[in-house]
Amino acid sequence: MRGGYDRPRFLWLVTALTYAFLFAPIAVVVLFSFNGEKSLQVLDGLSFRWYEAFWNDDELRESLMASIQIAAITTVVSTVIGTALALGVIRSRGKTGSWLGILLLIPLVTPEIVAGVSAFVLFAQLGVHLSLTTIILAHITFSISYVVVVVRGRLATMGTDREEAALDLGATPWQAVRLVTLPALWPAILAAAMIVFALSFDDFVLSFFTTGETPQPLPVRIYSALRFGISPTINAVGTVMMLVSALFIGLAVALPRLLGRQESGMAVLTGRSE
Amino acid sequence: MHVGNGIGRREFLRGGAGMVLGGSLLSAGCGVGQETGSEEAVKKVVPAKVDGDLLVFNWTEYMDPKLIESFEDRYKVKVRTANFDSMPSMMAKLRSGNAYDVIFPTADYVNRLVQANMLLELDKEKLRNAETIYPFFDNPWYDAESAHTVPYAMYTTGIAWRDDKVDGISGSWNDLMNESAKGKVFMLDDFQEGIGQANLLNGFDLNATGEEELEQTQATLEQQKEYLRGYSTNAAPQLLSGAAWIHHAWNGDIINTRNQAKKNPEIYKFETCKEGIPVGSDCMAIPVNAKSPGTATLFIDWILDPVNASQNIQYHGYPMPIEGSEDSFAELAADDPAIEVSTDDLESGSQFKELTVQERKAWDRVWTEVKA
Amino acid sequence: MNDAFWRRFLVPGALWLAFFFAVPFGIAIAISFGQAAEFGGVIYGWHPENYGDALDPLFAPILLRSVGYAAATALLCLAIGYPVAYTIARFGGRWKNALIAFVLLPFLINYLVRTYAWVALLSDEGLLANLVGQPLGVLNTPVAVIGGLVYGYLGFMILPIYAALERMDPALIEAGKDLYGTPRQTFWHVTWPQTLPGVLAGALLVFLPAVGDFVSAQLLGGPDTYMIGNLIQQQFYGADNWPFGAALTVVLMAFLMLFVIFFLRGGRAAERREALA
Repeated sequence: MRGGYDRPRFLWLVTALTYAFLFAPIAVVVLFSFNGEKSLQVLDGLSFRWYEAFWNDDELRESLMASIQIAAITTVVSTVIGTALALGVIRSRGKTGSWLGILLLIPLVTPEIVAGVSAFVLFAQLGVHLSLTTIILAHITFSISYVVVVVRGRLATMGTDREEAALDLGATPWQAVRLVTLPALWPAILAAAMIVFALSFDDFVLSFFTTGETPQPLPVRIYSALRFGISPTINAVGTVMMLVSALFIGLAVALPRLLGRQESGMAVLTGRSE
Repeated sequence: MHVGNGIGRREFLRGGAGMVLGGSLLSAGCGVGQETGSEEAVKKVVPAKVDGDLLVFNWTEYMDPKLIESFEDRYKVKVRTANFDSMPSMMAKLRSGNAYDVIFPTADYVNRLVQANMLLELDKEKLRNAETIYPFFDNPWYDAESAHTVPYAMYTTGIAWRDDKVDGISGSWNDLMNESAKGKVFMLDDFQEGIGQANLLNGFDLNATGEEELEQTQATLEQQKEYLRGYSTNAAPQLLSGAAWIHHAWNGDIINTRNQAKKNPEIYKFETCKEGIPVGSDCMAIPVNAKSPGTATLFIDWILDPVNASQNIQYHGYPMPIEGSEDSFAELAADDPAIEVSTDDLESGSQFKELTVQERKAWDRVWTEVKA
Repeated sequence: MNDAFWRRFLVPGALWLAFFFAVPFGIAIAISFGQAAEFGGVIYGWHPENYGDALDPLFAPILLRSVGYAAATALLCLAIGYPVAYTIARFGGRWKNALIAFVLLPFLINYLVRTYAWVALLSDEGLLANLVGQPLGVLNTPVAVIGGLVYGYLGFMILPIYAALERMDPALIEAGKDLYGTPRQTFWHVTWPQTLPGVLAGALLVFLPAVGDFVSAQLLGGPDTYMIGNLIQQQFYGADNWPFGAALTVVLMAFLMLFVIFFLRGGRAAERREALA
């Protein structure tokens, strides 16, 4: 049993350290959200003033809601389109699919500023007034490639035997996709959806160029704050977001068991049992 | 996916026109038209009364929100704010047809906006507090007779340092090569500020673009680079965290730094340099496509009120050219007159001027070769 | 399920991208052949000399540095991300979905805010320096830039690998153990080949955006960490030379696409060799 390949204890240590790395700055963010002073460098007394400021700031709340809305719609649409593309690229034989597969990497390489400027010029040319809709269109465009790459990564390891077996048993091709292929792809689709949500929620450049007057998505407000310093209110917003999400994740895991079911909520959500 | 650039105070402030693509499309007849005004539109007569809710387009944290609340209460209107991170970004949004009621451009961008007929003329009769503005701004270089703008805040560029760490500060741009702070120096991550100070140090004009001058300036920048820990536009966190002992900075940065360092604000010092002081100012203006120009006029007047200005200065930390607001800033600048900006500074200081395309390319080349 | 059936899946995405990506990309190329206008902006035209400028040897070290940083980032993400994905997929039990979701939880706090938090942690008078009793000297070095990139992109490596590992049949591993004996051999002969496509996906999602990243170098970098993303950003926000910025971008993209095609071909050749062996 050498090398740690099969030793949970060693592997858990690596994993724990990685989570510590991911969450170390988060702890600082949470800490400074309780800062008594307006500073992200100097901690001076504890207070809830930044939570109060967040609570009283209608526009900041609107920005947060706008960001959630943008990320949610982007996630759903790009995951659907991207998964379909991945299926087409991998499963169809011939040159079309494989070239498309390469071309689909181009959006990943595009520096965001260039993506933002060209999207902005396109909308201007078409005379479209900028709004949440234009932001969502731009976000979807650049999220599709992420979905394709992730889903394809899993699809490539799956053979077609089970789909063919389903066909032999009398399923239509659509049924085979729905009942056999998609369930097997769930982990990848879910992973892709999470990546897209995170990307979209945190995006600034593309959002800035495609946003209308108000509400501006949250990252636009944050990046604009650089000239005169970010207010700890932003830390309070982040802390609340994290808590709410962690709560959801916790509930998804715990609730079904409290209700006496065997599977976790995530498993229910993903339509599979463990 | 991550952000944008914007990282930094006025990193882009002076850059160039940036997002004026919309305008060039217009000239090519491609139809991104509505956003640029005509000469008649600029002269539209605006009533000095409330004509709708207000949308203010500004830097974040650059105006006391309490001032906005008191305006809302006084005039029974709703004020919304949107933010930009740089001048090129602001231009992009104006060109895209987004309609804002009050904007805050820097002086050189006012120049462009005026030339593109994108700003309404202000009726000074309707601005009761216009007479409190320093006479220096009666006919500024960027806007003849101040027809379209009123000034908002003023700033200078100099050197901030930690008095507890650094010896031998001499009041010169040479302090960026202070031996006791070697490896702890930050230069502003802004090519105009960087090249500008090296030009001044060599005894050239701030805006010098001659081939031989730039060659020497590049040598100076490379020499200074030996002392650098990095390029940054965030002086306050760098100084407070101990990363920077010396930081090429704007005067408002030091106020911001001192405000955060409650325990020992006096160790954070600021100097302007004897070889020359880059100075600048921000303005308030109303775009031609504003939906509520009347409310906007009232709002600008509200900000110019000396009592309100004094309150505002306490919030954003920059001096304003408004008579009766001086004490407020003097209080912030405390024992360090170098932080203040007087109209004498504005008159004797150097302002970044608009460079031609070729000149800009030459500067960019120098900056890239130094940084590469 | 013939080709015609599967090709239908390509239609919505292809149409979407043709309109919302290809058209704007065409605009970007048009800009790259334009000319910077006197008061900023672009005058369209035919100025291929922008590409001559973009191919200046001056930029070679900047490009090489960016590719080097991105490659180091991808390798580090793989070295860290693989064991994490493996642990969660194999030993996570009913917690695995929650554990995976937690990998992306920090993304709900803005990247910039998190990066400033790193500065507060690592700076000379920061929290960790106080703990250790001396300045760490990490900030403003290439190590800090690569660290910032790893931090920003690690999730994009963990998730695809996890997606490839999850649902790997445990019986396969057991069979591998019978066949190869040690866990190490089982891993390299059974598990690793199964997850290669996931690794490849992760490598692409980390490497490609990291080459053009500018935030990490800007906030955590020192005097000698200038990246190609910073140079492109400077053309749009500083030097006000959109055509040159666009030309630089097209050159960068062409370079990276060739790199990727070469990389994928190499990967496929290796797969074939392995299949034959």
